[in-house]
Amino acid sequence: MKTLFQTKLAAPLFALLLIVASAAATRAQDSRLQLNSLDHLSAKASQTVDVNIDEKLIRIALKVFSDQDAEERKIKEVVAGIKGIYVKSFEFETDGQYTAADMETIRTQLRGPGWSRLVNVMSKKEGNLEVYLLMNGETVGGLAVLSSDLRELVVVNIVGPVNLDKLAQLEGHLGIPELGIEPAKPKTKNDDEK
Amino acid sequence: MSYVKLKTFAALVMVLSLTANVVPNVVSAKGDDFNSIVKMIEQFYGVKHVGIPFLAKAGMKVARTAARIKGGEARRIAEAGSIKLAVFENQDFNGEFTRFRNTLNTALNQTWSPLVQTLSATDGEQVYIFVREAGDKFNVLVVTIAQRDATVVQVTLSPKNLALLMKDPEGTGKAITEEATIIDQE
Repeated sequence: MKTLFQTKLAAPLFALLLIVASAAATRAQDSRLQLNSLDHLSAKASQTVDVNIDEKLIRIALKVFSDQDAEERKIKEVVAGIKGIYVKSFEFETDGQYTAADMETIRTQLRGPGWSRLVNVMSKKEGNLEVYLLMNGETVGGLAVLSSDLRELVVVNIVGPVNLDKLAQLEGHLGIPELGIEPAKPKTKNDDEK
Repeated sequence: MSYVKLKTFAALVMVLSLTANVVPNVVSAKGDDFNSIVKMIEQFYGVKHVGIPFLAKAGMKVARTAARIKGGEARRIAEAGSIKLAVFENQDFNGEFTRFRNTLNTALNQTWSPLVQTLSATDGEQVYIFVREAGDKFNVLVVTIAQRDATVVQVTLSPKNLALLMKDPEGTGKAITEEATIIDQE
């Protein structure tokens, strides 16, 4: 004899499980930022660069980069495990072509669960630099960099296990611009006395 | 709600959640993407690509463009006989960056990966570079559109030469854009 669960509740519960599983799958991709909200800036920018190295291209990179070439071997080691590298950068000829609201469309996403801003990060370049890390429990799920000054706006989004050292090694490669990122040195006693 | 209706609802929910995650986007470009893209540009901007005598000149452009990709040495990187080329000369390409980019990406996103796309609103220039696997080699499709000229180039690259492109995709886009200008002056 079939139980009540088997006859009436099994199908709806299965459907519910599917929905939950689907939501979980979506959450696992959360470190990929939606950058389309910045697309309208292309019409004002003197130069817009959009780099999309998705999982397929990462796989290709791992295949084509040579172990014999020191530079390629280094990139290969760094990108192994990464699921995507996305860069959007805008250069403008005059000041004030993008607004705080444009930045906010990205920052809003970075206030989501798991994201936190790294405070001890500096840049050798002028302008503002914000670095965010997404933690999935103990592991790093992704990284985002917002670099801006009066005439430039750069967003870098790396999906997958990555850290500042890896990012620093990727600067200038695979479409990631030179951001001049360096972890800030810890304050010494002498610094406080100055 | 009756049990039958509940079951139907559950089935519907299942189908919706599965299709939302599994079914890929439907796109239009299939088969010969190179010709599809040339036609798409013709329709989008109301232009026509030019004939054979011009292609000979532009063939040189492709080789030199490829040679410039990494540092400007005179080195041919496209595999022999792999070059497909369409040239548009002295016609109007009136911007519409965002709409054109969306149309192009939608047409190619099933089989090609967009590596780098650069736009310059001030100069009216657009460069799009797509990559796809072709056996143990790779196809690279480069669409370059300036205010009055455009080229669509498809080449086959060895893994070694694709690595050169991938290491510096932004530089590649810029080099190709610059190349188009330089050749016109030569």
